[in-house]
Amino acid sequence: MNGAIPAADPTRPYYQAIGNEEAVFKAAYRQGLSVVLKGPTGCGKTRFVEAMAHDLGRTLITVACHDDLTTADLVGRYLLRGGETVWVDGPLTRAVREGAICYLDEVVEARQDTTVVLHPLADYRRQLPIERLGVTLDAAPGFGLVVSYNPGYQSVLKDLKDSTRQRMVAIEFGFPAAQIEEGIVEHEAGVDSATAAELVRFGQAIRRLETGGLREVASTRVLIAAARLIAEGLPVCTAAEAAIAGPLTDDVAVNRSLKQMINVYLGDPNRPDH
Amino acid sequence: MADGADADRLPTLGMLASALAGRSVAIDAQRPGDPTWTDGQTVFIDPALPARACLEAIAVQASMIAAGSLDPDILRPLARHSRLATRYLAVEGHRALAANADVLPRVLASLGDPDVAKRSNSPAESLSLASGKAAIGDPPPEFGVIRAKKLLAAGARAAKQDEQENPGHVPRSKRQQELSEFDDGEVDDTDSPDLFSSPVGGGGFIGKWLKKMLSSARKTGSGGGPPGADNPTHRINSGKRGAHAVSSLAAATSENVIDHEADLSSRGVKYPEWDVNRKSYKPDWCTVIEIEPVTKGSASPAIDDAIGLRRPLARLGMGLHRRHRQPQGDDIDIDAAVEAHVEAMAGSVPDEAVYLDSLRRQRDLSVLLLLDISGSTAEAGTVGRTVHEQQRTAIANLTVALHDLGDRVALYAYYSQGRAAVSMIPVKRFDDHLDSQVSRRLNSLEPGAYSRLGAAIRHGSAVLEARGGTSRRLLVVLSDGLAYDHSYERAYGAADARRALTEARRRGTGCVCLTVGAGTDVESLRRVFGNTAHASIARPDELASVIGPLFRSAIRSAEVRRRVS
Repeated sequence: MNGAIPAADPTRPYYQAIGNEEAVFKAAYRQGLSVVLKGPTGCGKTRFVEAMAHDLGRTLITVACHDDLTTADLVGRYLLRGGETVWVDGPLTRAVREGAICYLDEVVEARQDTTVVLHPLADYRRQLPIERLGVTLDAAPGFGLVVSYNPGYQSVLKDLKDSTRQRMVAIEFGFPAAQIEEGIVEHEAGVDSATAAELVRFGQAIRRLETGGLREVASTRVLIAAARLIAEGLPVCTAAEAAIAGPLTDDVAVNRSLKQMINVYLGDPNRPDH
Repeated sequence: MADGADADRLPTLGMLASALAGRSVAIDAQRPGDPTWTDGQTVFIDPALPARACLEAIAVQASMIAAGSLDPDILRPLARHSRLATRYLAVEGHRALAANADVLPRVLASLGDPDVAKRSNSPAESLSLASGKAAIGDPPPEFGVIRAKKLLAAGARAAKQDEQENPGHVPRSKRQQELSEFDDGEVDDTDSPDLFSSPVGGGGFIGKWLKKMLSSARKTGSGGGPPGADNPTHRINSGKRGAHAVSSLAAATSENVIDHEADLSSRGVKYPEWDVNRKSYKPDWCTVIEIEPVTKGSASPAIDDAIGLRRPLARLGMGLHRRHRQPQGDDIDIDAAVEAHVEAMAGSVPDEAVYLDSLRRQRDLSVLLLLDISGSTAEAGTVGRTVHEQQRTAIANLTVALHDLGDRVALYAYYSQGRAAVSMIPVKRFDDHLDSQVSRRLNSLEPGAYSRLGAAIRHGSAVLEARGGTSRRLLVVLSDGLAYDHSYERAYGAADARRALTEARRRGTGCVCLTVGAGTDVESLRRVFGNTAHASIARPDELASVIGPLFRSAIRSAEVRRRVS
């Protein structure tokens, strides 16, 4: 039911708005402000950026950050080709030149000295100094900087610098309400609404566990993965064990508890115990 | 279902119960035939119940926990009237199930009777309904019973534990004006440890400036002169050779080590203590004695290899060096490039390693692990093991992992009985081999007595500085909380420990604290060590995920200190 709303444009990446995040993002983009997306894994941050880039008609350049990401990886570097050195733009420089939206996924994973390169881009200057070339690029019109991170688990240890954070507009993401999530699962996986409702109910129950030995709770993404396995013809319990229990934990005891819960929530009602 | 399967199944249902209750709830078996009940933390269930009835019982009891049906205010009137308790359950059980309908499994959706649930909107309303004269049918047998007295007792126990914060110790005096005393300590330690240890770079101007200084120093300070282009031998000395060689820079001479030890065991070492009330040190106040470890015959000599911890620790304490002539890297080594070009023009095969890269090569880290074995660690922690057992596993893993990586590691356990008897047990000294003897000693440790954290930190950092032998030093404390000792109350102890940490950090030793298993007193530890230097984990196997950033930020901040001083 909710899946039908944004279907007006079939090429638009499917994203179901939960609150005012689309309006905030577009307003920030038009004002040339950078955006930080915060939320747990698998709640739709990446999909949201894709949908926004589509709506705004900009190319999207995505960089998955990791802890060995250097400034040169973002900005560009000299490579040797034949007998000469050739400058090759990094993804960030390309976005600045082309006026694309540059999306740095999981930006806290990147080294902090790397993220500093974003500062002149993220504030009013909107410039990218490239010291190796000795030039300072002004961002082309339409350039947008979006970063995302997951502030949940161990946020004390991995965090953004305050100077980086304060150059951004923050949009917080959470898991959608049950009804909306059912629509999302239904649309993404192509399962019937009853199956989607069962999966979402199970997901909501897992999210109520405080810690329970799980580092992260069942995200919308794993629910969709389970639903897709079901759409492919797998029995519900098998699909849920493969797509939800397995990815959530390696711990044998926790895994057994999760399977028990899967049995209770998704098992055949006539045979609650297998 | 067969009984054997059930016994296995009950604990796994704990997760379901926790999900329905909205907080951690365990499932335990009780005598067959008894009705299901809960004390608010555990649901007790007859293992002989059929699977379906078992689920229903859990759903009802857990839902009541979630719906606040078992709050002490409600329970008090029920404690003496079992008939009233039954009538209350008959209404409130259905209401709680209805309130929890969103997360209840579909198979159990039919359990709650919506008609009964409609009669009440809150536990209080159910109670007044139950104490009234209205006709209320008996609750279905699978609802179990409400044991108000036991619930109240369990609730009171939990509250008392919270209040004491430290059940393992006898509080010597009431912790009056705890907060104000904490503040006193804070004012005194003007350079708070958090300024530098914060991974966000320290809010302050100085922190940022120092960081900047540090990072630019890193880029220019090392690497040495680039090899001359006309000198072919330098090409052999490329980064490829010894790329994986790991060595320690440690250089401690053995003679003075022996002297030091003889010194210790005879008289003990005296350390000052910070008196927060008088704002001054009490000189030579605490005597730290190193006690030879006793090994029990029964202690297991097994050493687990902590593969999981190696990864996060592997890059710690490695000096970052700009390396020339790398096969790949983030910049071009112009000299090498020119040379390669010349080679190519001259018709010989050029070396393709023409990049500059920042690599971490040399191990340069010594770590001293301090294990709290005061009485409080004998308390039950998470997953059915005592805090001590959990800490022991964690510290064994850490020791092995750091040792394997080529770091200098020492492991000391500490406890105390008054200021004259702060005991440190050297489970592994820096120069001891990591062998079965060490793990036997570790597994022989028995928790007991009190702990005087400040003195332990002072001695630990002194040993680390004297015998660590590397420029990067890290002191790791595993503790479940600040503990008492004779005339070492909470606020006083916190101020002293913080002082001891400031001293150590000022001398360039990074300090972190880990709490494994349910800590009773994590907040005050966190206040003492600073947010970024304390991590609390539920089980030893979660160590791998916190250890890397925690250690890294501690080492980094200590490095900054050292450069400044």
